[in-house]
Amino acid sequence: MTGCGTCSIRVDLNHETQEDQNQSPLFMSTNNDNHFNQKQVRKAEFIKPPNTLKAKVGEGGLSEHILAKAQAVIEENSVDFLPIGQKHLSALHEGIKTAEAQRGNIDPETLISAILYPAMQLKANGGMFHYPLVSVVAGRLIQFLEVIHELDDASMEIVDGFYTALRALVVGQVKGDGGKSGAELYDALNEACYRYFLHKP
Amino acid sequence: MAYNFKTLKVLVVEDNQPMSDMVQSLLYAFGAGEVFTAKNGEEGFDKYVRHTPDIIIADWMMKPVDGIMFTKKVRNDPRSTNPFIPIILMTGFSEKKRVIVARDSGVTEFLVKPFTAKDLYKRIAQVIERPRQFVKTIEFFGPDRRRKLEEEYKGPKRREQDTSVQAPLINPNKYQQAKNKLSHEE
Repeated sequence: MTGCGTCSIRVDLNHETQEDQNQSPLFMSTNNDNHFNQKQVRKAEFIKPPNTLKAKVGEGGLSEHILAKAQAVIEENSVDFLPIGQKHLSALHEGIKTAEAQRGNIDPETLISAILYPAMQLKANGGMFHYPLVSVVAGRLIQFLEVIHELDDASMEIVDGFYTALRALVVGQVKGDGGKSGAELYDALNEACYRYFLHKP
Repeated sequence: MAYNFKTLKVLVVEDNQPMSDMVQSLLYAFGAGEVFTAKNGEEGFDKYVRHTPDIIIADWMMKPVDGIMFTKKVRNDPRSTNPFIPIILMTGFSEKKRVIVARDSGVTEFLVKPFTAKDLYKRIAQVIERPRQFVKTIEFFGPDRRRKLEEEYKGPKRREQDTSVQAPLINPNKYQQAKNKLSHEE
């Protein structure tokens, strides 16, 4: 890798002297902390590359009008989310089936990842293609999966609940926030998570 | 005066075609001059070397080369034409441990999906207006990873917040209520 010879600044951490530190009684050396007095070996080079991007695009940002036009690209897109959603739902289902069959044989992190990644895809894509409730529900499933330690019966029951809900939203083509039913569905899933964490803090 | 993106070249690396098309359309709506696309990190690196873009926007989960491996290659491969190029990583993940993995690979900015046009614009404006210095050590080459933690700031928050759709975190009051209710039942 070549750096920018004209603008690089080399910082040598060895320049931090013991003298300065020893001013404070907190840093008084004893016979037992000789390892703290070893010479530091790490060096960090800080490089400030020239801002060619700024020179290229100039000043002033983009107008609200342009941003509104760009937002309309998202809001008016006619992408059919159903095949995308179904693809990731299938992967989610596969991940759940594998977890149920292989619990105890494969490490929990691998099994959780097989459920987590399709859930992440549903979260990422739903909201971009008119299915924000899919994103919210999948996002909650991700939060749950990121903090549990194991896939026991209780957690698998909750994961199954999320899968059933997501399947209903995708296959039923529930666009938008799902109204009152959408809120109730989300609350019920949340409640299940609360109860799980009450018993497994 | 406003930004003039006419000469701006952007590379979008994304395996999901509808998402790639969407990002490409957003960039053209912003006025970008040229947008190149690639379906994974391997193809992305070839296009990066060939077209020398100004900014890269890459997805995380791709096969055979994902956004993290791609970023490491752009930062460290001897064939890399501009190891300092800003890389904006798109992903559905927003948990801290994932952000740390991305940051440690050399990513410049993190964009959580789903996002709005404004969210994407903010990341682009950030790399234009506040470029980060680079750090080179034995183990790492990439944008300086030290950033003030937001949670350290206790005062009022006046900045406009991102509008990405996010599942709310567990409400501690509701958690306590549920706990009380459960203990009462028991």
